[in-house]
Order: sequence, then structure tokens, then C-alpha cells
Amino acid sequence: MELNVNGRSYTLDVPAEERLLWVLRDWLGLTGTKFGCGVGICGACTVHINGAAVRSCLMPLAAVAGAEIRTIEGLAERDGSGELTLHPVQQAFIDHQVPQCGWCMSGQIMQAVSFLERNPLPSEEETVRAMSGNYCRCGCYVRILQAVQQAAGRAGEEEAAI
Amino acid sequence: MNQERDADGLVEAQADSIEENSEEGGADGREPVPPRKRRWRLSRRGFLIGLGAAGAGLAVGAYFGRPVLHEVMAESFAEAEHAGSSFMQLPDDPPLWLEVLEDSRIRLSLTKAEMGQGVHTSIAQIAAEELGISWEDLVVVQADTSSRLVDSFGTGGSFSVASSFGPLRRAAAGMRNLLQREAAAILEQPENALLVEGRGFAVADDREKRADFHRLAAAITDWDLPDEEALQLKQADEYTVIGQSVGRIDIPDKVTGQAVYGYDMRVPNMLYGAVARPPTLEAKLLSASPGEAAKMEGIETFLIDVESGFAGVVANSRSAAWSAVKAMETEWDEGHLWQQEEIEALIEPAGEGGVTIQREGNAAGVLGKEAAISATYRSPFAVQASLEAPAALADVQEGQVTVWVSTQSHERAKGLIAEALGVDADTVQVVPTYLGGGFGGKLDTGVAIEAARLSKAARAPVHVGWDRSEAMLHGYLRPPTKSVLSGAVDESGRIIAMEHRQGSSDVAFSFMPDFMAFVMGADFGATIGARINYEVPNLTVTAWRKTLPVWTGWWRGLGLFANTFAVESFVDELAAEAGADPLQFRLDHLPDSPAGGRMRAVLEAAAELSGWGTAPRAGRARGVACFASNTVVAQVAEVSVDAATGEIKVHDVACAVDCGLVVNPEGAMAQIEGNVMWGVGSTLIEQAYVKDGRLELNNFESYPLLTMREAPDVRSVLVDTGIKTPYGMGEPPIGPVGAAIANAFNAATGRRIRTLPMTRTRVLEALAGGGS
Ligand code: FES
Ligand code: FES
Repeated sequence: MELNVNGRSYTLDVPAEERLLWVLRDWLGLTGTKFGCGVGICGACTVHINGAAVRSCLMPLAAVAGAEIRTIEGLAERDGSGELTLHPVQQAFIDHQVPQCGWCMSGQIMQAVSFLERNPLPSEEETVRAMSGNYCRCGCYVRILQAVQQAAGRAGEEEAAI
Repeated sequence: MNQERDADGLVEAQADSIEENSEEGGADGREPVPPRKRRWRLSRRGFLIGLGAAGAGLAVGAYFGRPVLHEVMAESFAEAEHAGSSFMQLPDDPPLWLEVLEDSRIRLSLTKAEMGQGVHTSIAQIAAEELGISWEDLVVVQADTSSRLVDSFGTGGSFSVASSFGPLRRAAAGMRNLLQREAAAILEQPENALLVEGRGFAVADDREKRADFHRLAAAITDWDLPDEEALQLKQADEYTVIGQSVGRIDIPDKVTGQAVYGYDMRVPNMLYGAVARPPTLEAKLLSASPGEAAKMEGIETFLIDVESGFAGVVANSRSAAWSAVKAMETEWDEGHLWQQEEIEALIEPAGEGGVTIQREGNAAGVLGKEAAISATYRSPFAVQASLEAPAALADVQEGQVTVWVSTQSHERAKGLIAEALGVDADTVQVVPTYLGGGFGGKLDTGVAIEAARLSKAARAPVHVGWDRSEAMLHGYLRPPTKSVLSGAVDESGRIIAMEHRQGSSDVAFSFMPDFMAFVMGADFGATIGARINYEVPNLTVTAWRKTLPVWTGWWRGLGLFANTFAVESFVDELAAEAGADPLQFRLDHLPDSPAGGRMRAVLEAAAELSGWGTAPRAGRARGVACFASNTVVAQVAEVSVDAATGEIKVHDVACAVDCGLVVNPEGAMAQIEGNVMWGVGSTLIEQAYVKDGRLELNNFESYPLLTMREAPDVRSVLVDTGIKTPYGMGEPPIGPVGAAIANAFNAATGRRIRTLPMTRTRVLEALAGGGS
């Protein structure tokens, strides 16, 4: 089975019904994508498949063969010298000191990035709606909202600069 | 970070990614902790000084929260040292220590895991403060994370900013003092002519003359630290690092997916385990066999031990293990099939066994004579529901056991694992990882023991990660409560008598030997928040406790949330009796004491923040509540109620907290926000109950959590009443949330809901005139 994750391609011998979440974590060692419920409720396992935010705990491997998969590990850009540039959403999560335990954060960030790619200047209400499927047990919601709104502004600024 | 992938795609040497460093801790940003045995000795003044193979040879460690027995042992070591023996090995290594690195930065190693409360950052701030160095020159590492380290760290006792504040400052100041004394000798200057500049000491009026820490540390031969008075700890008004909102050091790794938790732990050739679960609360395993699972793909081994109720499987993938354990044949004696009503009858606060925890005057006498009001409040079972389910990786080898686990108490895990395996505790090393939430739930060490037993059976490293339903069903829960409150006010509007009869189950006592429960009487975990902090001449608070068939225990804030809900709702009911404004009524009943003064300060601050006394937006109403322990908290919630759907919307919670000295204000605010979310979830949504012998819990569909849609805005203010030591912030702000919402609901509708959670059904019932 061919899998394309974060621009790298892997050939794997994994049962086709295995869920993407466990393949990422246990076969590829990409443990940044988290397990919270396994049934599509909490959003901790959110990754991008061809740019769309998807719950990897529900996704059979067979369904994503050949697709472009992006995980939290592939979000920051690494330039030629190895220097890491965080995605504006990641930077906003640091600026607002969002994470507490951090377990939900990969999912929150992946959800926010895909949302902002589709809706670069959302209203607060739209952001709340888009982010309400991702649980944060630590209760970082006030900060998540602020950070996503800030990142939206920043993404908007960048576009304006171009 | 270097992560090599081997042929199986497993990541080698992942342990190094658990370390932490100060955010700007140097170009490489990572310092490996070399495996070594450090010898510690107690200096005459009670500090630990260690010589290690690495660094410049100077390390100062701090002990705190140690069991008395350890103190006594440490003292006898100190005696032996004075008798002429040189370096002695102490029974345990300290929970944190400071050492000078070769580049003259100072490294703080701590063994306590971070679960999101920012404890690593706060502790680093305290150390940097007394060392007098800049934040950038401090490197923070989580110690004991690389595989097969020989040291076994950790001590008993709870570790929090509050308990470590004193010892850590003294250790840091002690280290600075040793370095300064050496600098004085080398630079031939009096000590007071020197100051810390960069990574060394310089002569104040000739800064060219300087000596770096590394050079000083290497030169030190005299290990005696000065008396405590001579240490000259900084005064609060001299602080430059404490009190600053420095960026949390664990955050960068948490936005890039690099932080490693117990569920993420990996070593080469690891396998995955799963364990069969009892179908009912009282189920006993009668027999077990592999059954159909024996024929499944990827199975490595089974471990069946009916006597200890254990039936587990090890497989080459997690999915295979989970499927196999379901296919195993197990037979259980289900025991009594408990129902919720039977459990509620057990926590009735009446009859034999009540323990009076607070008494003034003669409440019963007054309440018998005067026109009194009475009300009953209830709260349900609740789960911690950390988003990371319990998980551990165990590698059991002959003579050496290593277990990586998301735990709030690695020391306790160590003893229990040793006992389960029948090995000497000295051969067991428990490595705490990052925790994906704890909230009291991860004091349980069951998952670590399961991983260890399965690893032993499989002769390979085994990871056990619970699924969500295991996490909900097989840990302990917050116990339900029933509180009956009675009280009377006189014509002038003063409370003349109050009585609180509180019934609940074990919280702290679940983790203590029976004799302790006998000695202590009331379970402080269950009764916290049950006391009445107002000036009431006749007052009785009595607690009843019954051990339930459901395992109950620690939960964020312990009994704080439920008890404060009951007491502070009832205070509003008394205010209504007196015809008084709820805020003014509270202010009028504060004791004339320092504690009363602090309560006044937070009540007034929360009132101001919320606009108490001004009209809220149309359709909204406000409620106030407060809680006082060492930390005092007042909150005002602003809510609206949808009469058609029964939905309560909490728009805003204004929170004022006096938690003493604040080490990291931004971190403190985040803790307040998290507590408020917990409180709102518990007030509006969360509940678990028993049916036909089992908890009606499975996954989040049966126990939904609060989402951003229901989350209120939280505004907070940290009130300084001049206290110079830090108190807790991780739990107290959960206390008033339920009562503030209930009181706001009452202000909005004239009705009162006394049973949590305030579901839509209960709201609609209350609006229709039904009581609850
Ligand atoms: S783990 Fe996939 S949604 Fe919860
Ligand atoms: S930060 Fe802990 S669950 Fe969100």
C-alpha cells in the first residue's frame, strides 16, 4: 500500500481495514496526531486529506491510498537550511499561550488551518461553529477562539501584502 | 530532534523528545540528560549537594514534600557525614536539582511531569529568580526520560508550586551563594562587590573582571552552605522573573506535535496489549480462555490469571489487540446488579456515622424554634475524561523494569508495579511523560501494571493504551453528593443559624489505608467546600460518607464543585429570605478577619468586573458565588435562558482570584479559564449513573463534553492582598461556577434548580413550576 504523508511517500504492508490514525501513529511513528475517542466525536485525530480536515480514527487506510495526507508534523515549513517556520496558526497558538495539556491541540490546529484555507476572514460566529467539533478537556476555548481569529487576521494581512 | 526510523517504521530513541528546554535555551535548544549515577550528600544546612560525572561538578538539589521517614534518614546521613565519612548516597534522588553546564548556563532538572498546568515554567521562574540569572540562561529538562537511566528519581508527596516555593528558592540561592563565594576568592574581591552578569560573576565597578559559572563551579571545594538567614533570599519587591508572564516552555512542542505523552511512547520491537474488562461493577472473573482470539492474525501471547481477575492479550498492532480481547472467552460472576436509586440511598446525609466538621453555637436549637428554610442539592457521578486516555509502555527485563506512563504519581506506580511483578522496587524505573490531562484521574496506575504484566508475559516491550470506554468505565469517578441545608435569618436580615448535612463517598480515602480513614473521620477530599465561611453564630456542618460499589476518587477540585454549588446556592436562598442583594448579603456576613478581608476583596473585584449593580443586557441575568480556602475566588456568571428549548446559555463569567503570590500571571489566567469550562460543563452537561449493575457510560456520546459553542467568555482578575507565598490555582476556581450559574438562573427566571446537571429537561420542568 502506498501512502503519501507530508510530502513523503511510504510503502506499507498494513491490513487495508486499519484506520489511518493508527497507521500514522504506530506504523509511521507520527504520534503528533492523537487518539481521543476513536468514533469521530472529539476531533483529536484530525488530519488533512487533500486539504480537507478529516477524522483519521474513522478513515480506513484503503480509502486514502494515493491521497495527499498532511499531519501536524508537516504543517511547519522547513527551508533549505533546515530552519523551521511555523504556520501562522501554530504561531498564533503560541502567541496566545493556548495549549494546556496539549493533547487536543494537533486536532485543533489542523481543523483551524483547513477552515481558514476555505474561509480566510471568518466572523467570530463562523469560527465558533467551525471549531465546535473539537473537544478541549482542559478548557482552552477562550484562547483557541482568540488564536484562530488572530491567525485569520494574519493570513489576511499576508494576502493583502501580495 | 533526531528520530531514526527503522525498517518497521518504529522510531528509535524517541525519549529525547520528551525533554524540555527554556524557550530560548540556546541554539540547539536540546540538552540530552546523560545517564549517570550522581552521589548526593546532605550539607550541614540541609541542602543536597551532588557530584556528577557531567557538568562542572556542582549540583544543588532540593527536597520537599518528603515523607517524614525520608527526612529522618537524610538527617542520619548528615550525621554520618559529620562523623567523617565523605560522600554518602541518599536513599532517593531529589525531585529537582540545579547544575552548572560547561557553557555556564544552569540546568534545572525536574522529575515531575507537566499536565498542562504550567508547573515546569513556574518552577523554572522561581529558580531563575533566586539564581539571579536571566531567563535565557536557564535550561529546563524533564529528567529521567532517556531509556535505561540508572537513576531512579522522584519522591512522595505532592509537588506543586506552593510546596516547592521555599525549598527551591533556598536551593537556588544556596547555589548562587556558593558560586559567589568562589568568585570572591578567585577575583580577590569582597563578595558584596560582585554581581551576576550574564553567565558569571563580575566585579560591580570593573566589569572586565569576571569569572564564568563553569570555572567557579569547577573550582569549588568547600561545600558548606551558609545559614538560611545569610542566604538573603530576595524580597517580593525585588522580583524580576517571578510575577512575569513568561512563555510556557512546554508550548512550542505542543503546537508542532513533538511533545511525547504516555500514549505516544515507542521503542523498537514493541507490541500492543489489551485486557478484558468486567461487565458489571461487581463482576468476578470465573474463567477465561483465548477462544476465537487464538485464531486471529497478529497475536503474540495471552496472559490469563483467573485468581487476580486478569485476562489479557498481546498482539503486533493495537487494533489486533483490541479485536482479540473482545474475541476472548471470559465468564464472569456478575454480582449484585446495582441501580442508581440504591446508590443514592447510600449517600443519604442522615443516621449513624455523621462526622461534624464545623460547629458554632447551637444550630439545631435555633433552627428548631425559628422559621427556617431548608433545601436539598444533588450532584451526580462525573468522569475526569482526560482527552488522553490512560496509557503506559512497559519493558520488563530480567533485573530491570522500565515503565513510561502518563501519571500524576510515578512514585506510587513504582511500588505497585514492583508488587505486581514480584520484583524489588529498586529495579523498577517509572518514567513520567507529558500528561494529556490528569485532573486527578491519573493517580491511578492500573494501566502501568497491565503493561508491565503483559510485557513480562510477552518478553517484549508492551504498550497498553485504553480506549475511551475503558477510560470512562474503569477509572474512579467523582462521587455523587447530597447536601441538605437549613437556615434562618432574623428581621434585620442576619443569618442566625445554618446547618449543612453533606452525604458523599470516598475521595481521598480511596487511596489511604483504612486506619487513616478511621483516624481522620471525614474524608477531606469529599468535604472540601462544605464548610461555611460566613459569620453565622449558630452553625453545624456534618458529613456522612459511604463507600459505594462504584470506585470513586480524585477529580478536579475534589468535592469543591459540588459542595460550593450547594452552600452558595443556599446562601442566595437566604439572601432572598432577607430580601437582600446577594452580593451585599455576602459582604454583610463576612467575618472580621484577614480571611474575611480577602473574600471581600475578591467579591468586590468580581462585582466590578461584571458590572454588578448595572442592568445586564436584555434577557440576561447575573449570579454571584464565592469560595475560600488558602486561595479565595469569587465569580459572577451572566446567563440567559431559552424558555422554549430549556437551554441555559452562560455568556460570561467574571472571576476574581487571590491565590497569594502569582508566579506566572498568564498561566494563572489559563488555569482560571480551564476551571470555569469544567464548572460550566459540570453544571450543564456532565453526569454518569448506574443501571443494571454497570455505569451507563461508553464513549463521548454517553458523556459529552463542553464545546466551544457552549463555552462562555471568561474575564479574570488576580487580586493582590499582599500575600508573599503562592497558593494553588489549578482547582479552586472551579468551586463557585455551579452556584454562580444557578443563582443567575434564579435571577433570570425566579426558579431554582438544585440538582445537577441543569439539563434542558430540568430547566423546562423548573420553568413549568416543578421543583428539583
Ligand atoms: S479520535 Fe477521532 S474524533 Fe476522536
Ligand atoms: S489542551 Fe488539554 S485537551 Fe485541549
